[in-house]
Amino acid sequence: MPTRRIFLRNSALAVVGTAAIPSFLARAAFGAVEAGSRNKRLVVIFQRGAADGLNIVVPHGEPQYYAMRPSINIPRKSVIDLNGFFGLHPSLASFQPLWQQRHLAIVHAAGSPDPTRSHFDAQDFMETGTPGIKATDDGWLNRSLRDLPRAAQNSPFRAIALGPSMPRILSGNEAAVAMNNINDFSVGGRGARLSPVATAFEAMYDHSSDAVLHTTGEETFDAVKMLKAADPGKYTPAPNTNYPKGRFGDSLRQLAQLIKANLGVQVAFADIGGWDHHVNEGSTEGQLANVLTEFSQSIAAFWNDLGDLGEDTVIVTMSEFGRTARENGNRGTDHGHANVMFVLGGPVRGGRVYGRWPGLDQSQLYEGRDLALTTDFRQVMAEGVAHHLGNKNLAEVFPGYDSQAGKFLRILG
Amino acid sequence: MRSSLRQPVLCLICLSLACAVPQLIAKKKDNNPAPASNEQRRAVHALNRLAFGPRPGEVQQVVAMGVDRWIDLQLHPENISDSALESRMAEFRTLRMTPREMVEEFPDGQMIRQVADGKKPMPNDLARRAIYQVQVVRLEAREEAKKEREAEAVAPPMSTAPPEQDSAMKDAPPAAEGAKTEAELAAAAAADSAGNSAMSNQAMSNQAMSANISSSSMSADAPAAESKSQPVDDAGSRALENRLYADLEVQKLPDLPPHERYKKVLSMPANEQVAFADALRGGKGQDFLAGLEAKQKETLLAMNNPQGVITDELMQAKLLRAIYSERQLQEVMTDFWFNHFNVFINKGADHIFLTSYEQDVIRPHALGKFEDLLVATAKSPAMLFYLDNWLSVGPNSMQALGIPAHPGRYGPYGYPRPNPRRKQNAGLNENYGRELLELHTLSVNGGYTQRDVTEVAKVFTGWTIDKPNEGGGFLFDSRRHEPGPKLVLGHRIKFKGEGEGMQVLHMLATSPQTAHFISLKLAQRFVSDDPPPALVDRMTKTFLKKKGDIREVLSTLFHSPEFWDDSAYRAKVKTPLEFVASAVRATGADVEDAMPLARQLANMGMPLYGAQPPTGYSMKAETWVSSSALLTRMNFAVALTAGKIRGVKVDESQLTADSSSPPDAMLSSLEVKLIAEDVSKQTHDSIVAQIQGAGNSSAKAKPPDAGMIAGLLLGSPEFQRR
Repeated sequence: MPTRRIFLRNSALAVVGTAAIPSFLARAAFGAVEAGSRNKRLVVIFQRGAADGLNIVVPHGEPQYYAMRPSINIPRKSVIDLNGFFGLHPSLASFQPLWQQRHLAIVHAAGSPDPTRSHFDAQDFMETGTPGIKATDDGWLNRSLRDLPRAAQNSPFRAIALGPSMPRILSGNEAAVAMNNINDFSVGGRGARLSPVATAFEAMYDHSSDAVLHTTGEETFDAVKMLKAADPGKYTPAPNTNYPKGRFGDSLRQLAQLIKANLGVQVAFADIGGWDHHVNEGSTEGQLANVLTEFSQSIAAFWNDLGDLGEDTVIVTMSEFGRTARENGNRGTDHGHANVMFVLGGPVRGGRVYGRWPGLDQSQLYEGRDLALTTDFRQVMAEGVAHHLGNKNLAEVFPGYDSQAGKFLRILG
Repeated sequence: MRSSLRQPVLCLICLSLACAVPQLIAKKKDNNPAPASNEQRRAVHALNRLAFGPRPGEVQQVVAMGVDRWIDLQLHPENISDSALESRMAEFRTLRMTPREMVEEFPDGQMIRQVADGKKPMPNDLARRAIYQVQVVRLEAREEAKKEREAEAVAPPMSTAPPEQDSAMKDAPPAAEGAKTEAELAAAAAADSAGNSAMSNQAMSNQAMSANISSSSMSADAPAAESKSQPVDDAGSRALENRLYADLEVQKLPDLPPHERYKKVLSMPANEQVAFADALRGGKGQDFLAGLEAKQKETLLAMNNPQGVITDELMQAKLLRAIYSERQLQEVMTDFWFNHFNVFINKGADHIFLTSYEQDVIRPHALGKFEDLLVATAKSPAMLFYLDNWLSVGPNSMQALGIPAHPGRYGPYGYPRPNPRRKQNAGLNENYGRELLELHTLSVNGGYTQRDVTEVAKVFTGWTIDKPNEGGGFLFDSRRHEPGPKLVLGHRIKFKGEGEGMQVLHMLATSPQTAHFISLKLAQRFVSDDPPPALVDRMTKTFLKKKGDIREVLSTLFHSPEFWDDSAYRAKVKTPLEFVASAVRATGADVEDAMPLARQLANMGMPLYGAQPPTGYSMKAETWVSSSALLTRMNFAVALTAGKIRGVKVDESQLTADSSSPPDAMLSSLEVKLIAEDVSKQTHDSIVAQIQGAGNSSAKAKPPDAGMIAGLLLGSPEFQRR
């Protein structure tokens, strides 16, 4: 199925867009980046709870949209218009400059092709990368590291999940670190050096004949020591970077610290909940608006905080499924199908909406109720894995999925 | 007398085993027969597998009783007295309450709203009234604040809301009463926080976060009033003054004797009760509770967080049972089955159903017949709610077709035309049907199709809950049941209402696929992550021959050579629950408050009752061996033995007989006590180096005490396995 850009109007906009030279090109012109030290990064963000894509990137040029959502639509005059057809929810105002600088791209009507409307299953499928198959026990982001050359330093921070336990997406054979809080990531107190207790534990685990514990233990203490040495605490957010309060902002702030401390992060994962709005979803204000503000301001702050490092960073967002095209009887929406994804980063050919728009007429809806799916999320992720990270072995990352490079949307330039 | 003689000898033998020098055993053979050492090792293994690890002296007790006899006893928990545990549990009243009673005594948001709206009366009982009153006042304050925020936001520009939207909102017809509650419940069901908060540890992070929430909401309350009082606002400053006064009154409370203190709280005016409740937020204000009876304590805690009382008691009970129950195998199996038939505590009404689910559905069948257990879970409100079956409606059922319940009333024909406006959301929900086949019985490769899933879902339409938010029980609603025959796994199921479900459950419970799947999972729990297929096959045969008798299947397992094989010894990585429970058991600690332990489990990625997906928690090593989790384990081990876990008292004299003995002697004795000497040379040497290092470095480093050595042992790689 050939994909084409959603609107030719995009290209009209592109002319305007070139007036502003992408900032990374401007930066590269100064030759600030040494080729050898470059370390490509893929950051995946999960919006858990099924975000309402139709109210996030609003098809305001679609009359059906307003008919189906009488009380929760985003009025045309409040939408931040992108291309005359799509517009951003006003709470995504901090995304607007990123769009204008062409760092931010959008893929609409995207997601997992599995028809499940169960949060559990759908999240699982998007993390294992094998929709419909529950038996997969490792995650695609972990598998994406398998055939990837390690970064210059053999870093325990190669794969990092922000949170107390290892999410499914990063579980698997490749070493990965789950970190809840940078400050708690040690044994027997912080300090610049290992505490005596930590030294004893390190010796035990380093020399243990227990293969599993030995490996993780070694990785852990490498990470602890590396973290102490790098002292990421000194990497305070860049000027004019304001992370919103809350777990998600904290996660991204800490991730930026790790990246800036040059710890060799190649893939990273963070998540944000609170998207399941069956009742009183709100319109320009309300529940969805609030979580969107936290979501977009955190990501914009992260991008700003990364500065030049953003050049080698690609951030992709996903959510397990979209929500019903029509609002329900409680001014909310129920579980639906396709959704919207954001792709942000230096190599992103931004300022465009990718994917084919399936339309919102009754006959165009999936099962008569939901936005139909025209882009498999794996198509987007595969491009990030192959084109950005450089792992061409996609059959292993997304088994059973025909993710040939020829099918890419060419979001990354 | 006998054991004191035997102990040192056993130690020697065990040490020799640990060093893996078989010749040594041969040498010792003269004065002590090998079977004894073998029996000791068998006892350690049995306690590691059938129990949550050995307590001090327990290995010797099991050896004295005979390992086989002990196992047989564990298979018959009804013959084991558990009075010590029962007395520990006595204070947890919610364990003996029905869900209905819980809703009354520990109201949820919906109940409070009804009282606030005058739809339900404020209770008369003083204690109950105090609980309700605080929640009603808080609800009103939240709504007031929300209104103010909205007024502020809307007042100045107004440009964002175009007129047409405005009118649309005004004109939107109010949802019909009945439909509204139904949809709200459905919403609650869907808002399974699956989506909501991130990942697995809501259950606990709610706890952990309540501290932050409370402080921020408090500062939001009071200073909000403050800032508004700038243009000298009378009402605002009066509110602030009242609050300060109320806080002062609350501060005086700890000076009162317990009984008077309790009476005083109940007789306080509402605003002071709110101030009191706020002071308890985030597990603070323990001194208010000192000396009170269990019920009084519960009432005061419930004033702050009514539903928290239920979940806290449930979690505490689980940990205390794992640590102290004499019926260890029953608790291991209760944990196993709960996990197999997992239900997530943070999904809507499930927080009131879980206590009864574990107590009345899981535990009584933990060693019984699989089919009984399967039927009990299928009919439990907890499972019906968790996997949405209670919402499932047959597409051609009377309800879906809009046929009224009492057709006679509607006309002479007795069968009015179906309502053309079908209920929008009415329809099949396949969630339970699918998990029943995939996770509860046949397993993912069990040879069923999507068609079977849909047919099974039809079979179970009508299996619902009588008023879930009031804590109601199982109900078969024939109006929701899909008419006609169904075809499940090639079998034609005749239309017979509730009986169809029973027939399908029987079919599944007696299927060879189910027998194999359950046997495999049991072998994974008790033997190894990849158990020998021959063993699983023998267990499967027993399962089929003994009609799903779980006790018989376990008996086959415990008497198999594979279970006792050297390759199985300490082969399983402990889950966080197994790690924490076994560490507390090993130290012989006294747990006065198990909630701090529950929070530790959440930090290790295993919040109790907090597994969100229906798969439950993994039993396999790779899940539990992450950096963050390992560091948390090490820190926990050190904190536990240093007496730094609140509510858990470790008696150092328990750890070491003589605190004045030199550190290396202490180490040897602790290796025996805590880990039955299954310590590698590397671990031993690392601790010795730590001891010597502390001795050499002159200045501040104090010599390691028994607590620190014990902490190092509990955090060692060896202790992470069972």
